[in-house]
Order: sequence, then C-alpha cells, then structure tokens
Amino acid sequence: MLAEHKLKILQDLVRSSTKEELVWMNGFLAGVLMNCHDQSTLASQTSQASAAAPATAPAPVAATPDKPAVSKITITYGTESGNSKKLASDLAAKAKKSGINAKVVSLDQYRLNDLSKEEYFFTIISTQGEGEPPATAKKFFDHIHQNGFKLNQLKFGVLALGDTSYPLFCKAGEDVDQQLQKLGGQRIVSLQKCDTDYQGDAEGWFSQVLTTLSSNGSSSSVAPIAGAVVTKKPAGKKIYAGSIITNVNLNDRDSNKQTHHIEIVADELEYQPGDSIGIVPENAPAIVDSIIAVTGIDKTKTVSFRNESHTVYDLLKKKLNIAYLPERVVKQYASIVKQDIPETKISLLDLLKIYPVSNAAQFQEVIGILEPITPRLYSISSSLQAHSGEVHVTVARDNFKVNGEVKQGLCSNFLAELPVDKQLEFYVHKNSQFRLPAEDKDVIMIGPGTGVAPFRSFLAERDATGATGRNWLFFGDQHFTSDFLYQTEIQNWVQTGVLTKVNTAFSRDQKSKIYVQHKMLENSAAFYEWLQNGAYVYICGAKEPMSVDVEYTILQIIERFGSKTSAQAIEYLNSLKEEGRFLKDVY
Amino acid sequence: MSNNQNNLSAVEKIKLASDGLRGTLKESLHDELTGALREDDQSLVKFHGMYQQDDRDRREERSAKKLEWLYSYMIRLRLPGGFMTPEQWVGLHNIAGEHATGVIKITTRQTVQLHGILKSHVKPTIKDFNTLHLDSIAACGDVNRNVICGAHPKFSAIHEEVFSYASKISELGLPKTRAYYEIWLDEKPLLDKKEEEDPLYQDRYLPRKFKVAIAIPPNNDVDVFANDVGLIAIIENNKLKGYNIAAGGGLGTTHGNAQTYPRLATMLGFIAGEEKTLKAVLEIITIQRDFGNRSDRKLSRLKYTIDKMGIEAFKAELEKRCGFALEAPKPYTFTRRQDDYGWSKNHEGKWYFTVFVENGRVLDDEKIALKTALLEVAKSGKANFRFTCNQNVIVSDIAPKDKKAVEKILQDFGVIAHTENAGAVRRSAIACVSFNTCPLALAEAQRYLPTFITKLEPILAKHGLQEDEISLRMTGCPNGCGRSYVAEIGFVGTAYGRYNLHLGGDREGYRLNKKYKDNLDETAILQELDSLLEKYSKNRKSGENFGDYVVREKLVTL
Repeated sequence: MLAEHKLKILQDLVRSSTKEELVWMNGFLAGVLMNCHDQSTLASQTSQASAAAPATAPAPVAATPDKPAVSKITITYGTESGNSKKLASDLAAKAKKSGINAKVVSLDQYRLNDLSKEEYFFTIISTQGEGEPPATAKKFFDHIHQNGFKLNQLKFGVLALGDTSYPLFCKAGEDVDQQLQKLGGQRIVSLQKCDTDYQGDAEGWFSQVLTTLSSNGSSSSVAPIAGAVVTKKPAGKKIYAGSIITNVNLNDRDSNKQTHHIEIVADELEYQPGDSIGIVPENAPAIVDSIIAVTGIDKTKTVSFRNESHTVYDLLKKKLNIAYLPERVVKQYASIVKQDIPETKISLLDLLKIYPVSNAAQFQEVIGILEPITPRLYSISSSLQAHSGEVHVTVARDNFKVNGEVKQGLCSNFLAELPVDKQLEFYVHKNSQFRLPAEDKDVIMIGPGTGVAPFRSFLAERDATGATGRNWLFFGDQHFTSDFLYQTEIQNWVQTGVLTKVNTAFSRDQKSKIYVQHKMLENSAAFYEWLQNGAYVYICGAKEPMSVDVEYTILQIIERFGSKTSAQAIEYLNSLKEEGRFLKDVY
Repeated sequence: MSNNQNNLSAVEKIKLASDGLRGTLKESLHDELTGALREDDQSLVKFHGMYQQDDRDRREERSAKKLEWLYSYMIRLRLPGGFMTPEQWVGLHNIAGEHATGVIKITTRQTVQLHGILKSHVKPTIKDFNTLHLDSIAACGDVNRNVICGAHPKFSAIHEEVFSYASKISELGLPKTRAYYEIWLDEKPLLDKKEEEDPLYQDRYLPRKFKVAIAIPPNNDVDVFANDVGLIAIIENNKLKGYNIAAGGGLGTTHGNAQTYPRLATMLGFIAGEEKTLKAVLEIITIQRDFGNRSDRKLSRLKYTIDKMGIEAFKAELEKRCGFALEAPKPYTFTRRQDDYGWSKNHEGKWYFTVFVENGRVLDDEKIALKTALLEVAKSGKANFRFTCNQNVIVSDIAPKDKKAVEKILQDFGVIAHTENAGAVRRSAIACVSFNTCPLALAEAQRYLPTFITKLEPILAKHGLQEDEISLRMTGCPNGCGRSYVAEIGFVGTAYGRYNLHLGGDREGYRLNKKYKDNLDETAILQELDSLLEKYSKNRKSGENFGDYVVREKLVTL
C-alpha cells in the first residue's frame, strides 16, 4: 500500500526504534486515525495531531534515557470496583522503574487544595451508571466543575475506564479530561478510553505517559489539541456465547424471595473468583409486539443503529432500552413528535401510547435516538477450578415499585425465565479489587443474601486448590427453611473442613430481627483473633444498610477486643484497608 | 443377664453413652446450619417425646434447590389417661398455631401430638407446655410410654379410681434423669448426681418401647391386648376388685422378616390391691429390661421375650420378683371398642359429649371449624377434654347447669351434626399418621383413608351395610400404629398406593386378623370388598359381624 520511499522511511524508523518508542508510535497513529474522518482532512488532522505530540517525540533514537526529564508525578484514581486502583499502582510501579517518583492517591483522599500545585498529574477513573463518576471521585469531580480557579502549571493525562455496553461510555473520564483542560491544564497524553478488557489499552497508555515524561515533558513542547480530544477506540471486549445448563430458584416455595442459581457453559472461559459477568437482557416479546402494533412499523425491516444493521424486531428485543427512557431521550422524542412532554422517566410503550408518533417513518427516527440496553453485572458464584468450563451466577429476582405499581427488574426476570439450553451472551467484568489472598491466609466472608455469590466462588476455588488458610462465612437472609442459599453446599464445606466457621442470621425467624452483624458481635473474640492473625475481610451484598452496619460492627469489635479508642479502631481498620485486607463488593 | 453385651444394637450403645439421655442434644440445637439433629441425638430425642421427621413430599424439590430436607419435629405429650383441663386445651391450641402446623393430632394412644415444629421452635414449645404443666417426657423412646385408660367415665362410677392408676403407672415408669429439664427448660444440673440414679432403667432403659393399657369392661376402647401390659378392671357390685393382668401384646412386624409377628397379650392372672398391681407392672418392666433382646430391635418387644422364655417361665419369674402369686383371672366381658358418640351422663349427673374427629386431626377445614369450636368450649371453662384411643375427644365433666351453653357452642359450629352424620364405618375407622412426616411410611394412611371411605360408602350402601360399624383400620407400614391387625378389615401399607388386606379380626379386639391378599391397589381393594361385603350381607347369620362371618366362611384361616 505504501509507496516505496514511504515504506523505506517507515522500515528504517521501525528498525531503529526501541519497543517503547514503537508503542508510542502505535498510540500516536491510532490517535491520528481517530480524528481523520475522510481523506481530505487527513493533512490538517495530522498536523494538528503532530502539534499535540511532542515535536521531538521519536527523537531519542537510542535506548531509554538514563535520567528522566520529569522526576515527580502524581497518579490519582477514582474507583468503584478497584480496577482503577490496580492500574494506578501498575503505572506507579512502571514509573518508579524509570526513575520517576510517583505518588498514588485515591481521589477521595486527595487534598483538593493540592491540585493547583500539581505539575504532572494523571487520573485513572471509571464511569458508573449514567455517566457518573464513582462515589469516591465525586468530591474531586464536583471540585473541577467549579469555576474561579486556574491550573496553569498542570500537565495532565486521563485514562478512562468504562463499558461500551453503556450509552455514556467513559463519560466521567471524558469530563475530567475536558475540565482539566478548561481550567488551564495542559494535556500531555491524549485521553484513552478503555472497555472492560482494559489491560491492553491501559498498557499502551502507560507507555505513552512514560515516553512523554522521559523524552522531555516540558510544557513548551506539549500543546493541547484545541477543541478535540484525541481518543483511541478501545479494543473490543470478549463476548462469550454461553448456554444455560441449570436454572433453579434456590428459595423454597413459601419464601418472599426468588434467587436463581444459573449455570452457564461456554468455550474458553476465563475469569477469576471475585469477577462478575455482564449480561444484556432482552426485552419482553409482548412489549415489543405492542410497540410494533402501535407504531405500525414493519418488524422485518432492516435498519441501522450505531453502525450495525438489524431488523426492527431484533433491535427492539435485544438492543434498545425501551423499559425506562432517561430524560435526555424523552426530550429528543418530544422534539421528533413535536409535543410538550414533561421531563420524566417513562417506558417507550407508554410514551408511544400517550404521545403517538405520526407514522412508521417517524418511529424509525425515534429508533435513532434510543440508547442501547445497558448490561447488568452479576457476581460470579463459581470457580473454574471447581466448575470447569462453567460460570455460575446467583440472581435475585428483582421486584420494585414505580408509582405504587409493582414492576419487575428487566434483567433478573429475563434470566429467571431462561430455560435450559437457551443461548446467552455475556462478558467477563474483572474486579481486581476483590481477589482471594495468598492460599495460606485466613478469610472472613460476610455475604448475606446474594452477597454469598462471590464467596461460593471463593470457597469452591479454595476447596479445589487445597488452600490452607482458614475460611469463615457469615450468611443471613429472612428464613432458615426457605432462604438458606446453597445450604447443602455450605454444609459439605463444613464437613470437609473447607469452612472453619459459619454463622447464620435469619432475620424473620424470631420476633427480634437478627442480622449478620449480630452474629459477628456474638463471635467478637474470635473475629478479633482472626484479624490479629492477618485475616482478610470481604463484604458482599447490599451497600445500605448492610455494609455500613457491618463496618460499624467491625469497628466496635476492634475497639472492644483490641482495647482501643474509637479513633484507634478507625486507624486499625484504615490500615486493614491499606493492606488490602478489608474489601467490599457492595451494591 | 441374657444379653450378649458384645452384640448390642447401635441404639443400645447410644443409650449407654448418652449420659442420662443428654447426648449432644444441646450442641445439636445450637447448630445453625441444619434443622436436623446429630445422628445419635435423633435416637435420644425420642425419649424426650419427640421424633425428628422431614416432609417426605418435598425431598426431591428441596435437594434441587440445594436446601436440606425440610426437617421438623413431632412432639407428643405424656398424658396418662388422656385428660386435659380447658386451660390446657386453650394453651395447646395456641402452641399448635404458633409453633406447629396448627393441627392438633389425637393419637391412637390417647394423647395429642403436634407436627412440623422447626428445630428453633422446639425449646419454646416445650417451655410453653411446661407453663401449662404438660410435658413430653418418655412419650416416645425405649421406656414406658403414655399409659392409656378406658376413656369414658359413664361406664362406671369407679372410672375415677381406675383412671388414677394411669398416672401412678406413668410415674413409676418415668426415667429419673433430669436431662429433659436441663436441655429444654434450661434448668441447672443437679449438684448431687445420685438423685438421678435410676434403679428401674439404669443406664440402658428398655430394649424397646413399652406400652401399658387399662381397660374398663365392657368397653375395650384401649385395645388392651395390643399392649405390652394390659390391665382389665374387675368390677363387682360397683366396686373395683382388682385387675386381670395380661402381658406380651404388640402388633408391629417387619415385611419380609418371618421372625416378626403381631401378638395379643396373654392373660396371666388376677391381682387385687393397688400396691400389688403396681408392683406387678413394675416387675414385668424389669423382666423385659433384663431379658429383652438388645441386639435386634425388630425382635426386642416383650412379646418376643415372653415367647422365648415360655409363658410359664415368664410367669414364674414375675411371681418370684413380685414375691406373691397371681390369682386365677376373673371373668369379664368386652362388648365394644368404638366410642359412644354424642351425649351421655355419668352417675353423678355430669354430661359428656363424644366428638367424632376424623383420624384424630383437630383443625378447621371446609367441612367443619372443629378447632375453633373446641377452643370456644375450652374458653368457656365449662368442660374438660378427654381423648380416646379411637382418636376422638370427649368434652367432659359438664355440670348440668352448663350443658346448654356447651351444647350451643357445639351446635353453632356444627360439631353435633358432624358427629351424628358421619357414617358408621367412618366413625369407627382408625388410621396412623404415615405420609408425609412418618419416616417409616410406605403407603398413605391418614391423608388417604377419608377419601377411601368415601369410595367405600356407596358399596356399603349398595349392600345395605351403611349402619354396620365394621372396624376398618389403615396403617402405612407393618409397624401397626393404626392397629390394623386387630380390625375386621385391616390395611397394612406395602408400597405407595398398595396394601395388604387383612380380614377376620373381631369387633371387640379379642382376635387378630389374618392377611387375606397381598399388595392390592385401590381398584383391587374395592373390588374385593364389594364382593366380600355382598356375600356377607346375603349370607350372614343374625347379628353376625363381618369379622366373624369371614372366619366362619374360612375366607381366612386363623
């Protein structure tokens, strides 16, 4: 494809470059390509992009310089699942190897006043729900969205984690990247957006960061791209085609709950205990049929949606969120149908019934503004060591009320009704924050309700691998006879010695409610002994009120049995957190 | 003695090692992971009046849900003579609702039991019973079980005197261990363990369950010959003269084990006076303790001990231990086993209403709100409650001035009509518990018998036998709780939906029946009975009962 003289230059360049330089070039070219929409703009894009990159970028033809140009950087992270934290420490480790002193700090611990003093500042941040930053980054996020201060000496780079299945992919990272620029910061590395398989893209971005820092890093040679943010398309995540082999409601007949244990087989599965899988639920056929009926659209018609072609029926059933449209979509709908519609969350079918489209063509226009169905994440409750080729999830069938009407959760109901042999696509969502410790370490697992899911995975893994550390499980639910999830498996683990201790709390079996934290208190002495012995504490399940109550209870235990003041107990717990011995997966 | 200590059955070893029936019951109760008890404790808990059971209908489904079997406990009260005050009935009613399935089950041995009590509810249940001065000590297990006594006071002015023997025999057969009070009622262990020394049971208890019944002729409602010890009150000129004593009754058998058989008690003789009577009962228990088979539980009831010793040797051993000889048995006559339903009056003018309770199950259903009715009666405080071995309840001891009030309650809730309208066979029938809770069940019994009788009734009517009180009994396995072996028509479950059909028992309980056909299903049973009842209705002699007819025609050979 290349003319001979160009090819020669390229080959020479490649031959004379170090691996890091090649990685940098790779990223550079990808960035250029992201911004070239057609041939005619290539030249200008390239020149713009060149400006973005240090002019001397590929300059150090020889090996890595002995001395980095920059000696001190700050790496901050905003994390929900721990992935950003993990990457931040990876980057710091690499920086240190290159002789750069890197300070790693969580955004919730970051002193906002320090921001104006920063020189080299990198942020790794994930995106939650509808484009929001993680809770731990909220304060920082709000801070940089204020006006009235300038960050003129700041040189920054943002690595954004996200999930392309969500409508607002990596939005929080984009926002941070843009705001830092608005406040006067200079972007020295372009924004990298990563999907759930983030490792490769993150490594590439690290290389860019290090190359930039080690080459020069002086502000004069680093200029932000006006207006445009250079991003790279993330590498696609691996989608597994699974098949359901078991789907059973674990709760007994008279329970208030339905918790489905679903076993899925898929080829070449890879995951670790602590990971989740993401599943895109399908819409109920009855609702899709109603939409087709009220709009009169031909359901077999092929239309294009975000660069993919599908029939209208498939789009409505498998791709588009029609359950509760966010206000921004309702707004766009209003302008298509040219009606005043109050800003509210509403289902597409209700919208179509109250504010009908004029014809099928107009509905096709509506399809264009709809957003993809967001995937739901479920903690994996199996272990590849114990359940080869399978992934299991533990799904609470969700019922909730909207304006007094009982509604069913889309995904949990979709999953609950999947028959055996049904095909199901999913992807693995890594959670490097929630990992088993070394095999000889003790583990305390607190997982009431579906919170038990990752602990079934942990226990199966530790059983299969013969881990020698002790295991202690706290489980709770409403009723002993109907809601003891995985009861017989837990009994077996006790019998075979995998589980050293189990305590259960069934809240509604007696007049006064008993929860897991009450059982922890009853076993305070042993609990503290385990902590002192280096045990890792894991909490999974409802964030409120469970995880809050449990954390408070642990503080009480530390206070009482460690003979500590409350301040000392907090300090003790904080040190557990810093050592990675207090881990939560709560929702 | 005659036991080979090296060949003890597993249960014998558990008893010996149990530290006075304590075992690890406390630890079992504390185990949060299971609704079951540890295996050894499952044997011991019987001595405390409970059986661990599970809902057998739900096993498969629960296993698929990764839930253990649905374990629960049946608690049976020790209720000598089957008597309860109205306050106790109200309490029982409430306990049944709060801790059990709600159904109050009147048993074939004159007590009540509650089913479906979860492990976490067992202690609260026992505590609640305790506040009512009720207990379940020795209601099950290898001890002297609930002592039963002819239920209906109308038959004799001396019923009260005889009735008091039930409590006295129950007392003499109570284990001395304080385990019940420590485990279920949180009492502190005694400091002086000597007080627990048990000269009767020692540390081994009995080889097997032991049942004592007292009959007051002419009614044999207790099925006196089906018990290990049967006392028959001898009444002359309205005075209690003493008792004929019989021993070695027991109905349980094992399918396919030819060494097992049902046996009626053998008449030993007559004893006068309370002291001697109690002594004789006690020494029969000690002989069984010392001579009973402790290696094979299927051959360990007193009936086998007696047959092994020979009746004369047994009697000699008894007389030796008693220190007195038995007199020759006195004449007596039984005329019926059924309860006399409806109103009757005793010698003091007190009133009694015998309520028909189908299969002994007191509950409110679509037909009748029996449980509510009995609660109302109890709340009025105007009547005591007496249970019969036919699984019925007698609303008892009603003062003449209170009769109207009680009658109104019974009337308003349809209890009187329910009792009067029940068919003759239905009112006389007995079924054991069987599915879904009894671990021994092979075929349905109490859940199925009402339906079966509904199918049989048109056949009876066809042959003009609807008023005939043929005794019909169904038991879900060969252990005989439903006493099918002493019925005119007896069903013994062999497999789900299948029964051995036994014929030829008499109506008064003097005679065992015999297996007529094996392994019949419902269609075959109804066909057989249709043809048998047709012949009976055509060929019977005047006043001849079905059981006697079958024997005379040699349809079975006894």
